[in-house]
This record gives sequence, C-alpha cells and structure tokens, in this order.
Amino acid sequence: MLGLFGVLNLGTRSLATQRAGVEVAGQNLANVNNPAYARQRLAIETSLSVSSPYGPQGTGADAVAIQQIRNGFVDQQINGELSVGGYLGAQQDALNYAQASLGEVLDLNGEAGDGTGLSTDLNNLFAAFQSVSTSPGSLTERQLLVAKAEDLASHLNQVDQRLSNLNTSLNQSLESDVAGANELLAAIADLNDLIINTENSAGGAANDLRDLRQSKLEELSKLVKVDASESASGGLNISVNGNTLVSDKNVLDTLQTYDAGGGQMLVRTATSGTPLALSGGHIQGVIDVRDGTLATMRDQMDTLAATLISEVNAAHSGGFALNGATGAAFFTGTDAASIQVNSALVNDPSLLQISGTAGNAGDNQVGLILAQLAEKKIPTLNNQTLNQNYSSTVAQLGQALNSVNERAADQQVVGTMLMKQRASLSGVSIDEEMSDLMKFQTAFQASARLITTVDEMLETLVNMKR
Amino acid sequence: MRVSTNSFSNQFLDQVRSLTERQNRLQMQAATGQRIQTADDDPAAMQRVLDLQTEGAGIAQFQKNISTLMEKATASYSAMTGLKKISDRVGELATLADGTRSPDELKIYATEVGQLIEQATQLVNGKHNGDYLFGGTKTDQPPFVTTKDANGLVTGVAYQGNTDAPDVEIAEGSFLSVQMPGANVSGAGTRGLMADSRTGADFFAHMIQFRDHLLAGDTVSIAATDRAALGKDEDNLLLQIGTSGAMQSRLEAAQSIATSRGDSVNGLVSKEASADLAQTLLELNQTQTAYQAALQSGASMMQLSLMTYL
Repeated sequence: MLGLFGVLNLGTRSLATQRAGVEVAGQNLANVNNPAYARQRLAIETSLSVSSPYGPQGTGADAVAIQQIRNGFVDQQINGELSVGGYLGAQQDALNYAQASLGEVLDLNGEAGDGTGLSTDLNNLFAAFQSVSTSPGSLTERQLLVAKAEDLASHLNQVDQRLSNLNTSLNQSLESDVAGANELLAAIADLNDLIINTENSAGGAANDLRDLRQSKLEELSKLVKVDASESASGGLNISVNGNTLVSDKNVLDTLQTYDAGGGQMLVRTATSGTPLALSGGHIQGVIDVRDGTLATMRDQMDTLAATLISEVNAAHSGGFALNGATGAAFFTGTDAASIQVNSALVNDPSLLQISGTAGNAGDNQVGLILAQLAEKKIPTLNNQTLNQNYSSTVAQLGQALNSVNERAADQQVVGTMLMKQRASLSGVSIDEEMSDLMKFQTAFQASARLITTVDEMLETLVNMKR
Repeated sequence: MRVSTNSFSNQFLDQVRSLTERQNRLQMQAATGQRIQTADDDPAAMQRVLDLQTEGAGIAQFQKNISTLMEKATASYSAMTGLKKISDRVGELATLADGTRSPDELKIYATEVGQLIEQATQLVNGKHNGDYLFGGTKTDQPPFVTTKDANGLVTGVAYQGNTDAPDVEIAEGSFLSVQMPGANVSGAGTRGLMADSRTGADFFAHMIQFRDHLLAGDTVSIAATDRAALGKDEDNLLLQIGTSGAMQSRLEAAQSIATSRGDSVNGLVSKEASADLAQTLLELNQTQTAYQAALQSGASMMQLSLMTYL
C-alpha cells in the first residue's frame, strides 16, 4: 500500500519525469537545424508495483532512457551514396576544367575565322597555306601564314600548360584529401574512446557523441569508400580494402600518398605500404580521371601536335624559299608543349619554302601539298584528317563529361531520396516538439496539482486532533 | 510519411535550385540561339558541327582562291586584248605594205611597228599584285628582255621565263591554272602567249622581221612570209583569248557552286546546333511561371508552424 507519503513521492518523481520530457523536447528544438542530429525521445516506464490489500498497486512512472531515433541501415546506404557522389564530383570538376581549357565553345553568331578553339586555328592554318599557294610571291600572305601558324602553336602550348597545371593541382588535392581522411580517422578513434567510456561507465547510449561520429564517418565516406562496422563495446571499426585502419580507440593504420612514377600520386596504407585500389570517394575519383580521361586527352593532343609537326615539316623541307634555300623545318618541337614555328621563318617569311623548284618565285607545288594536308587521312591518326582527329578528341571529352553529369544527376536523385528518408525518421519537427512541450507541461501541472492535493489531505489529517 | 521541419525547406531549396538551373540554361539558349554551347551538351552533334565548320572554312578559302584567280585572269585578259589590238594594227600594216608604197612610207610603217614592238613588250611584261603575269612561275623578273642595237632599234626580245603554270585549288581535288607562259617552244604544256612551237607563232620575232623588211623596202618578203607569219601570231592570240574567256566562265561557275555549297553547309550547322527559338521561349516562360509559383507557395508555407497559434 502506498499511503499518502507514497503518493507524495509518486508526485515528486512524476514532476522529475515530466521535467525530463521538457528537457528532451528542448534538446530536440535546440538541434532542429543541426543536420547531423537524430531526434531523441524520452522512454518512460511504469515504476515497480507494490503489494496492497487490493492487489499490486502501481507507484508511478520513471524516465528510464533517452532514445535516439535512427536507422543504421539508412545511414549505411547514405555513406555509400556519399562515396559515389564524391567520386563523381571529383570527375565532374576535373573534366569541366579540361573542357574549358580546350576552349571549344560554339558561337554561330560570330565570323567563321574568329572562333576561340583549336579547330578554328587549324582551319586558319590550312586556309593560310591555300592563300600562299595562290600568291606564292606575296610577302603579305606569307606573313599571314606565319602569324596563323604561331597562333596555332601557342594555343597548343597553352592547352598543354593548362592540362599540366590541372594534373599538378589534382595531385595536390590528393595530398590534402589524404591528410583530411587521416584527421577524420583520428577523430573517429577519439570519439570511439569517448563513447565506449561513457556507455560503459554511466550506462545508457551516448546519443550526441554517436551523432558526431556518424557525421565524421559521412565526411570520411565522401573522401574514400570505407567499410564501417560497430564492435560489441560500441566502437566503430573502419577498414579499407580489407586493411583495418581504426579498431575501437586505436588508429592501426593511416592513408599515405606515394609517387607511382612521373609525379603521379597514388594512395597506400602508411604502415604496411599496401597500394590501395579504392572503389569510391573523392580520392579515387581524382585518380581515375587523372589517369583515365585526362591522360588520354593529353596523349591525343601530343599525338596531334607531333603528327602536325612531322607532316608539315616533311612537305616543307623539300620546298624552296624565294632565295632558293631548302631543307628548313616549318615547326620546331616534338609535342604540344614544345611546338613552335621555326624562328628563322618568323623573322623572314620569304624563307618559307613554298616552291617546288629553286629559283621559281611563282611555283607553288610545295604550298599545294601543305594545303592539301587538311584533307590527308593520316595512318598514325587512325586514318583521320588532323581536323577530324581533333574534333573526335573534343567529342570524346564531351561524352565523358556528359556521362559523368548524367550519373551525378542520377546519384543526386538517390542521395536526396535517402536523405529525405532519414529526415523523415530522424529529423526534428517543430510542430511535434511544440505539442510535446505542451503535453509535458500539462502533465507537470497535473503532478503539481497532485502534490498540493496530497498536501491538503495531510493537513486535514493533522488537524483532526486539535 | 512524416515530414520534419527541415526536410520541407530542403525540398523547397532543391526545387528552386533545379528551376533556376533550368531557367539559366534556357535563357542562354535563347540569347545565343544555340542548343549546344560546349561539347558536353551534345558530344556527337558537336563533333559533326566542328567537322562541318572545317568544311565551311575550306569552301570559304576556295572562294577566296577563285576570286584571286578571277582578278589575275581579268588582268591577263586585258593585256591580251591590248596585244590583239597591236596584232590587228600590225596585220593591217602588213596588208598595206605592198608594192604600191614608196620606201619612205614603208619607213614610216617601220617606225610604227617599232613602237608597237615596245608597246607589246610593255603589255607582256605587265604585273599584277607584284607578280609578272606572263613569265610562267618566274614571277619575280620581267618575262621578256629586249636587246637593242646602237641606233636604239630592238634586235631581239628574248623570253626568260619558263613554261610552268602554277595550279590553284578551287574545290577539293580540283585544280586550275589561269596563267599562260609568254612563250612555249617545248611542244608540250600550256600554250605560249607570244610564241608557241605548235602553232608556229613567234610574235616578237615576226614583228622585228617585218620591221626590218619594211626598213629594207622588201615588200616581196613581206608578202611571201610576214603576212602568213603574223597571221599565225594572230590565231595564237585568239586561241589564248578564247581560252582565257573560257577559264573565266569556269571560275564563275566554280564560284557559284562554292557559294551554294557554303550555304548548304551553314544550313546543316544550323540544323545541328541552333535552338528552336519558339520552343525555347515557351519553355522559358513555363519555367519562370513554375519558379514564381514555387517561391510564392514555399514562402507562405515556411512561415507557418504551431508556434504561430500558441
């Protein structure tokens, strides 16, 4: 049997319970804009009953735990999607920059020869060869040809320079990503330590620490796809490619970049030195785009430049200048970075070897061969002309970027849906919390009313004997 | 489905973001009139457009080549008509110089022929855009060089050019030469203007011979050889004039073919890359309406919550 003092005690404990409910609602409201937060709920259970002449009698309610509403499966899926998103994001950024560095932007409203891309420069070069062939003795046409050739050469140099800079900055971003990933691994190990200690000593779930750890894991997943599993003690074990990096509070291994040759950085584990073939995340995205599409594109530009140099020089060297000189090269250099117009020709365009016979100023046989290079299907370029080869390079890059954009858009849809699912389960709703506040406040008032009622009853009892 | 406070605002932001991106894209299309700006918009179409633009640039250059050739052909033609006038006059003089003329009259004719020889030399050593027209591919030196005797009489006009005729490309794989050498005694290749072994023409030599016969008063030789020789020269000139005229017609035809090819290439490029302006503006209008509606509805909903009524 409870008795009046028992009921008083019941009322007091009820006050504490309802106050805890208000505190939890307050905690939820304060974190409404915290994206890493999962809403918490007070678990209230009836207290142990006591025996009474009327049978077991309840002794009120107690708050037993603060529970976090979170679905681990959705969290895992989100981690996976973040890795995919990080991977595709890295590729999108790099490919966008590569496309911009080519400068092929269509402008149908401009004049034909005024475009900004390499395609226009190539067209202008061959047009200039034609003009010189039509008027081989004209110094004006020769000067124009040299100028157009210089435009093309310097544009090729620039494109190569930009792609090279992109390569360098991708390697640098790898370094900083790996450093960031290692910091996150250390942070997760620290949080594991705190969570294990808190849960083992004080009991109950360390909800806020777990939220923080999940957000660190999500940041890590963006950088590199990891396998995360919770151990029995409450710590999160993290491994990559089967290599355990974090086990409870210990960081067993970290990531490290290493030079795979030619300044191209790859990633391996620091302690064991095992090269890692990652399957998702920003880091692998950078590596794949650098060694895949971008490397192919740089090779294609070098092949184009080298072929242009060799074909033009082969034709030009057999020709004769206005003063009868022969054997000079038109272009110097071997690839896109080094292609230049022979400086002797720049200084004196009359040295352009357009004639097929020494001493005939009006002869244009070599000029015609040079002009017809525009139509020549070259075996080293897969039997394409120089222009066709370039336009297919542009199209390939465009296709790669287009595919990545589409995949990124698809991933965005999936990612958004998962986030929505999580928000639906774990997100805080202000309306709900407001109604909970009112609920607990009313219950608090009711408990206080119970206490005053019992107090009055006690006073009545005491005043029975005057 | 339970909707938390932030999932509503996140969804609203996503929608606004996607509408803004779409508006941006459509506005760009409307402003440039193009469906494609960069290769990733439509890679296959971009490749086709670049190839078509290369073809278009080639055609434009052929048109320039044709114009240059037409100018050269016109210059050559006007020199040739000048030479024809000289030939007409020389022929006339050859007919007039018969036995009925006195030696003095013949000497006057001889003086005139001398002048005509100088005039013809000047015409045939004419330049166009800094190049000599009738020297074959030796365009940097006068085709004909005169030698004179102590009295200033021309004793010979020698050809120092060659018989090469430089080709110019007027369409893919199609070449034309509008130049004719001043003389061609090889018996092969483009016919010489003043002298050609196939037609027996040698205008300068025949004119000098005629002048010398006039000075000597030798009307017999004039009748026997000069008239016939000068006749061959005239025929040769007529042949060249006719060829030049035909060449100019061919150039005009090539020019009009190039122009229509250029137009058709432009049409193809437009088909690949141009935006349907009506369609684009309609979609832009729809997107703007949707954007406005999203903003309005989102704004009003975001302000309401239970707190407003407590």
